[in-house]
Amino acid sequence: MKDVPGRRLHNPIADDGDEFHFCSTCAFSAACLDSGYDKSQLRDLHVLVEHTGPFREGEHIFREGEPFTAIAAVRAGTVKTYVIDADGHEQVQGFFLPGEVIGLSAISHGHYPCNAVALDSVLLCRFSFPNIAALATRMPGLQHQLFRLLSQDIGKAALLAGNYSADERMAAFLIALSRRYAARGFSPNRFQLSMTRSDMANYLRLASETVSRVFRRFQDEGLIRVERRDLELLNRPAIEALARSVLRD
Amino acid sequence: MNSPLAFDADLLRRYDLPGPRYTSYPTAPHFGAGFDESRLRDHIRRSNSEPLPRRLSLYLHVPYCFSPCFYCGCNRIITRDPARGQRYVDSLVREIELAGRLFDRDRDVVQLHLGGGTPNFLRPAQLRELVESIGLHFHVSTSAQRDFSIELDPRCVREGDIAAYAQTGFNRASLGVQDFDPEVQQAVNRIQSVEETLKVIDECRASGFRSVNVDLIYGLPKQTLEGFARTLDIVMEARPHRLAVYGYAHLPDLFKPQRQIDATLLPSPQLKLALLQLAIEKLSAAGYRYIGMDHFALPEDDLAIAQAAGDLHRNFMGYTTLADCDLVGLGMSSISHIGDSFSQNPRDLASWEAALDQGRLPVWRGLELDEDDVLRAEVIQQLMCQGEIDIDAVETRHHIDFAEYFAESLGRLRSLCADGLASMDRRRIIATSRGRLLLRIIAMCFDRYLNQPAPQAERTRFSRVI
Repeated sequence: MKDVPGRRLHNPIADDGDEFHFCSTCAFSAACLDSGYDKSQLRDLHVLVEHTGPFREGEHIFREGEPFTAIAAVRAGTVKTYVIDADGHEQVQGFFLPGEVIGLSAISHGHYPCNAVALDSVLLCRFSFPNIAALATRMPGLQHQLFRLLSQDIGKAALLAGNYSADERMAAFLIALSRRYAARGFSPNRFQLSMTRSDMANYLRLASETVSRVFRRFQDEGLIRVERRDLELLNRPAIEALARSVLRD
Repeated sequence: MNSPLAFDADLLRRYDLPGPRYTSYPTAPHFGAGFDESRLRDHIRRSNSEPLPRRLSLYLHVPYCFSPCFYCGCNRIITRDPARGQRYVDSLVREIELAGRLFDRDRDVVQLHLGGGTPNFLRPAQLRELVESIGLHFHVSTSAQRDFSIELDPRCVREGDIAAYAQTGFNRASLGVQDFDPEVQQAVNRIQSVEETLKVIDECRASGFRSVNVDLIYGLPKQTLEGFARTLDIVMEARPHRLAVYGYAHLPDLFKPQRQIDATLLPSPQLKLALLQLAIEKLSAAGYRYIGMDHFALPEDDLAIAQAAGDLHRNFMGYTTLADCDLVGLGMSSISHIGDSFSQNPRDLASWEAALDQGRLPVWRGLELDEDDVLRAEVIQQLMCQGEIDIDAVETRHHIDFAEYFAESLGRLRSLCADGLASMDRRRIIATSRGRLLLRIIAMCFDRYLNQPAPQAERTRFSRVI
């Protein structure tokens, strides 16, 4: 696709790094650089920073129970994490966008406590966990960043536990996605929803029909414009207002 | 697109080339056998999983006709045996059931179109059975805006039929007329009186149909300006909401029924153009708006309103006001358009029935659109519906530099501009009033497949532009 004349890059894909440069979305680059390490020095420290993928849509990155060896930053695409509950139903735990880190919840377990699956074509940057943890003890900035990521990961799950309306949940979901994209330098008001409607419904604890009904109402009210999987936030203040009670800010 | 339609005989003659009608892009000859049932199921699943799944438009094909019209290029079966109709209905119901369960319940059916063949080969009770089956296996919209349309052969309409269709939910009808001239009717084997035709139009109105469309054809054997003028006068008098004036394409090698037509009786190219000019002048004088391709509508009709609002769309059923539907084609030879895919059912009855007997969706061939296909389809759609291409909008939506991406197309377009068919600047490409009868020619500039051989050597299926 990249060699089609006149076609501009559209999907959120990080500028890939190389042996000497970090990827533009890298979750750790700032911490490392702040601590005075560049990428070549990290290599000298035998920290495994390994680019993996592409994982195809539907392909698993890790499965529940597998031994925990690495955390991974998403470089491109979207990853869904989920567990299968006692009744055999899938419970979606979260979606991970470029620049975000998967596998954090495994740190305290020694094995992965959930499944991670690619929702579209996914590229990862794998960090061997013992190595990065060891490095963190020598780099306060990196350790701080790891703690920050961990606390964000916990906060995300708590977001939707309350007793909120479908509109509030959806608004909070869209605003949260928007902020996360914005934080990585992507457009905050126009992005792709790579997850299926039933994944969204599952995550938001809503019926699948409710998700489409809320999307349609938001669209009819001029809050958003949905076209296939492309989403545009047209009236951000109104959506933020709806989301406020959920996001508590 | 409301400037007057200019008729330029010299231009039309020069550009009278074979070309697709762009009811789809890519066009059906480029569908391939690699697309099978599992691919279709996959595309349906994907379409269900979109945040706002698209509403549905259903097309049902009824292939049977009582008698052969010699001009016909449709996929149809001639029979007088009503038992075949019931057998077909039984199979269609199976297909409705198989397809219906694949679509999520929150996907409303907002459009239903019965085409043929002759849909009213089937009796009202059989049509009701089909519609009820759709109601059972799909979620049918209850909105007054829904479109339920049926193509009617007025010669097959019996007393009380129209009221029964209305009761079943049909609110639009399209009547085949072609020409009332008795000599022409004889030459094409379609004897149809003015009285029975007007009676059907009246009954549709009386039964509350939202619109009636009349199909006419120019270029038929033995057609004269005087005879066609009389036909137009009669039709104008009845004032249907919509009119289609198709050019007859004589392709006897492809369409067997056309071999019955004596080619020496066909009008000369000059006369054919004069017939078209006559139709355009009379329709314009009577207040009809040109919609595009072969279609005209009264200014108060939904199509004309939608076109004025930039809200017109085009699919296999022609022009429509309903945007962004996934199209589900049911019945032999029907075409579906789900998400970024096209797929077509077998064109022969036996294969279609055999698949259904085995509980399979009858997919014969199809195509997955790539990003380039989607982009070109949108450009061609804008052109066919609005008569212009909004370059800024295309660039924003598809993240391209239009001039760079379409450098080759624009090169081809330049000679059309020189001929006054189109004009372009940095923001817009517009079909001029001279070019609007030649929208296909302009659209062909953007068709990547035109210079590629079709998988099934179907190139010559394209009718001429005029």
